[in-house]
Amino acid sequence: MTGLVIEATNVLKYLGSGAGRVAAVRGISLSLTGGQLVLLMGPSGSGKTTLLSMLGCMLTPTSGTVRILGQATAGLLPERLADLRRRHVGFIFQNYHLFPTLTAAENVRLALEMSGEHPWRAHAKAAKALETVGLAHKVRGFPRELSSGEQQRVAIARAIVANPAVVLADEPTAALDSANGHAIMTLLAKIAKDPSRAVLIVTHDPRVLPFADRVVNIEDGRLVDKSPQAKPE
Amino acid sequence: MELGRLTPIIFTLASRNLFHDRIRLVGTLVGIVFSVVLFTVQLGLFLGFERMITTMIDHASADLWIAPADTKGFEATALLEGRERFRALAVPGVADVTPVVIGFTFWRKPNGKSQTPVFLIGTTPGGLQPWNLIEGNLSDLSTPQAVAVDRSYFDRLGVAEIGDYGEIGDKKARVAAVTKGIRSFTTTPYVFMPLDRARAYLGLPPASATYFLVRIAPGASVNEVRQRLQATLPNLEVITSDEFRRRSRSYWLFGTGAGAALFGSALLGIAVGTVIVAQTLYSSTKDHLSEFATLRAMGSSRRYLYLTILWQALLTAIIGFAIAAAASLGLARLSAESALPILMTPGLIVGLFVLTVAMSIVSAISAIVVVTRVDPVTVLAR
Repeated sequence: MTGLVIEATNVLKYLGSGAGRVAAVRGISLSLTGGQLVLLMGPSGSGKTTLLSMLGCMLTPTSGTVRILGQATAGLLPERLADLRRRHVGFIFQNYHLFPTLTAAENVRLALEMSGEHPWRAHAKAAKALETVGLAHKVRGFPRELSSGEQQRVAIARAIVANPAVVLADEPTAALDSANGHAIMTLLAKIAKDPSRAVLIVTHDPRVLPFADRVVNIEDGRLVDKSPQAKPE
Repeated sequence: MELGRLTPIIFTLASRNLFHDRIRLVGTLVGIVFSVVLFTVQLGLFLGFERMITTMIDHASADLWIAPADTKGFEATALLEGRERFRALAVPGVADVTPVVIGFTFWRKPNGKSQTPVFLIGTTPGGLQPWNLIEGNLSDLSTPQAVAVDRSYFDRLGVAEIGDYGEIGDKKARVAAVTKGIRSFTTTPYVFMPLDRARAYLGLPPASATYFLVRIAPGASVNEVRQRLQATLPNLEVITSDEFRRRSRSYWLFGTGAGAALFGSALLGIAVGTVIVAQTLYSSTKDHLSEFATLRAMGSSRRYLYLTILWQALLTAIIGFAIAAAASLGLARLSAESALPILMTPGLIVGLFVLTVAMSIVSAISAIVVVTRVDPVTVLAR
């Protein structure tokens, strides 16, 4: 069953203060439903990262509302926002941000044990998640022993292992060659098939367009209708 | 089953981060070991000093001490006339009153050319007699000119074995018994002998004494007997052994500043160790800041971040303590035969462990302040 996972309504976000204060996001409304892979595209400085930060409960809007599974983030303290991220959001970062001193399995376990999962159960789930991303044979590999594509797969396994309602990916193919980028997008598209999970990918990379169920363009902090696939919010 | 699967990943992360930079780890451990050893040695010296101060009181068979007024420690040399003994014996509840004479004088070595200060202790059987005898026996002291000395002072006294002679004042003294481990914190050798001989060597009147050791009758109350004795001898002090110990420690450790100096050095050691560990944890945390930001972005609570740092601090403390404790025990063993041995008690070792852990946890505060400010959004910007 597909449902509304994240809903942003008329979101405005100012960054900085005094003379340096800028409106990074200007009245954006956007909803993400389960079973969809949505691309958020736009030039540098268009507000993509700020919007992603608000959808991922890292920032709260200056005005407007962001709801994740119905829970509004406005006014929440940092610890409560962290709790929402831990329970509902899986992040995939451009440079993977794996822990270099931990093995692939341990990197994935970390996401579970932060939530209080028992180490033994966490290990079993991590192994399964790595199997899902095709890295069953690399559970003991340290990041330095893995290729870029494999590192990004570990990051994907880490993002999905706790079964979050939304997966947010920040330029997941930017550091990869075409073949690896294609493989990663195939994997993310497969993950997005889960009707209880939404996947939002921030990207500059036009090669990923074929994988999108929907494309959202952003410029100067506002959503714009630029491509044939895009559906204005 | 692999042990790693049962170990919480937070411990793995903290320990691997710690061991990842081995040069920094070695620097930290050197700092901790230096700090803990310095602290241990100072405290061990303090404990050794404390025990030596009260060693005579500990080995005297007395329930109560009759001492001259305002006696600050065992080494005080004011005199009692001697009549007090009979008045004390008349007090109900008193079983026995044994005189003890002490005093500083000089020991002339057998070569007759040099002399060294000595501390004489004279008493009758049942008073304050030498213990830990390794050669000769107590009855040998009843022979003419016989004295007992500690083996550790042989060189100082210019003697090498039983039967060797020295002179106290202008009178001969013969080593008739040898003890082991009876050393003075003043480094002045103790020389034990019968009461009358001590009076003669020190030139004291026949009935005089420095202390009277009181043993109370079975079933009598120490406090009640003490009150009666104090009422009978209002110009003297009647004190329990515990009180005498406290008084001696207080005088020598704090009245002279010796204890404060030892404590001061110990605290300096702790301060140095805390700063070194704090510096290491701080720089380690700064180096791994992007990892902490990633943890935060993934939804880690601050508590989880703090635990990671605290576990690192704890691990550092455990390793540092193990090395420092081994080094300190070695030093204590080496100092066992010295004039002022370092005393390592089980209580001190446990206390040092607690202290090392506390020091490391306090050191973690600066690192914790750093991660408290970490912004998860920075992960997206990289």
